[in-house]
Amino acid sequence: MARIPGAGLAKGLAVTLRHMLRRSVTQQYPQAKPELPPRSRGVIALVEENCTSCMLCARECPDWCIYIDSHKETLPAPEGGRPRQRNVLDRFAIDFSLCMYCGICIEACPFDALFWSPEFEYADGDIRNLLHEKDQLGVWAATVPPPPPHDPGAPPPKELAAAATPAREPRAGRDVRAIRPPGSLKREDPS
Amino acid sequence: MTEERVVGVGAGALGLGAKELATEDMILNIGPQHPSTHGVLRLRLTLDGERIATAEPIIGYMHRGAEKLFEVRDYRQIIVLANRHDWLSAFSNELGVVIAAERMLGMEVPPRAVWARTLLAELNRVLNHLMFLGSYPLELGAITPVFYAFRERETLQAIMEEISGGRMHYMFNRVGGLKEDLPLGWLDRAAQAVAEVRRRLPDIETLIFGNEIFLARTRGVGVVDRETIMQYGVSGPIARASGVDFDLRRDDPYLAYPELPVKVVTRSAGDCNARFEVLLEQAKVSLDLADICIERLRELPQGPINQRLPKILKVPEGDTYAWTENPLGINGYYLVSRGEKTPWRLKLRSASYNNVQVLREILPGNLIADMVAILGSMFFVVGDIDK
Repeated sequence: MARIPGAGLAKGLAVTLRHMLRRSVTQQYPQAKPELPPRSRGVIALVEENCTSCMLCARECPDWCIYIDSHKETLPAPEGGRPRQRNVLDRFAIDFSLCMYCGICIEACPFDALFWSPEFEYADGDIRNLLHEKDQLGVWAATVPPPPPHDPGAPPPKELAAAATPAREPRAGRDVRAIRPPGSLKREDPS
Repeated sequence: MTEERVVGVGAGALGLGAKELATEDMILNIGPQHPSTHGVLRLRLTLDGERIATAEPIIGYMHRGAEKLFEVRDYRQIIVLANRHDWLSAFSNELGVVIAAERMLGMEVPPRAVWARTLLAELNRVLNHLMFLGSYPLELGAITPVFYAFRERETLQAIMEEISGGRMHYMFNRVGGLKEDLPLGWLDRAAQAVAEVRRRLPDIETLIFGNEIFLARTRGVGVVDRETIMQYGVSGPIARASGVDFDLRRDDPYLAYPELPVKVVTRSAGDCNARFEVLLEQAKVSLDLADICIERLRELPQGPINQRLPKILKVPEGDTYAWTENPLGINGYYLVSRGEKTPWRLKLRSASYNNVQVLREILPGNLIADMVAILGSMFFVVGDIDK
């Protein structure tokens, strides 16, 4: 490669010169916000109403950064019913200083209470402030984007597939009227 | 040549005989915190003046006990940990784990998942190579190429983020396929990004590759011969730069690689320049492979991208070794299962671990200034060394 000395340098500088005349690709971040795709893993948002405090997310989390406290509450018996118990969520907190952003909790949640949000501007000067309670996680729930539609090669989503299958015919020899309406049968009093 | 003559040695050397005129060797620690060792690799050098007499890589400052942690995680949680040891090739790291688990389960992966995995693995390879194509000149004092490399990385990372939601730790593989299906229009955007990167990749090449200063610093520096490569188990682009014609994508194909025309890039010089050249060529080859994958994904019939898994996934008793050609070399997982939901042992063979061991062979005899050039051209990630 016997060339003019400095030819390689000149070629490199030519690239630089060409790029000097082009528009810059840099985004001025605080002024211009980035456009993030809907799947972006920014922060975990909680829809508190959907949470049954079943603890599945907390158990599946690889580094146990989800804290859940709950208590049981007995609802007064409705007319002709019996008292019901339900779980009341007292505390739901995610420690984002431990979180590895893997999304297993969101996958594990059977009640659609956890979602990814592309929101990312929650950096803090103190690591202890990264422990976010359910009220803050609920605020982020408003920023959750709808999921993107799938590629044409993907099978139709299971919700649509379920709706498309025809309803089952009532089995022959079975009287539909025999199915009693709810609440028609009085519970026998054991006492 | 002029004759060298010692005129005086100073009062301090009076007690020395003529033979011991040489100064005492100096032990110099490079790292664990040093700008030329991207990460916490420590090198203990014994110096004879400016020349390195012996070199010993001291590793383990970033040991996180990944293998032990694997033993108490189920197969979904392992993916979280596995993609972190080499943070520049997260997707390929995940692949090894799921391939091992799928093989033990006898699970067949849907074809769309196989092709999508191959595509993402190749995009990940380009991302990794771009990082080193940018950082290596940076270590040699050329600051501009890293900006170009990061612009290309950004283009590809946008694609990866759109499909997986992550920019580094994709967490997109699952046993039996991928986590989610491709978003609508993603293939078009991926094809566009690949075309863009291919168009702009020669910029990095013209910017630095013909540069006289770069050539002077890299050509003939840090030559590793084939024999040493074989003895130390060096793999990946470093091995191929020394003429070791071995690439698992061609020699033990996994995923969709049997159907792909994998061009194995080799060089024979074995110096820093050859290693850089292999990286550059491999990035181009990977872009071509990515294009083929995109085309295939368009043609494939409609079908699922993952398997329905049981709530608790238990891998049957037995063992298997799954190795993949990671961007930095051979990455292997030896999975031993006793039929539980966690592996009994998951041994990790990481590429960088073997690749840095060879430093003790190639550093001695070189000047301190060349150490930076050699170290940078070994393309390692410290997390991958220390596990």
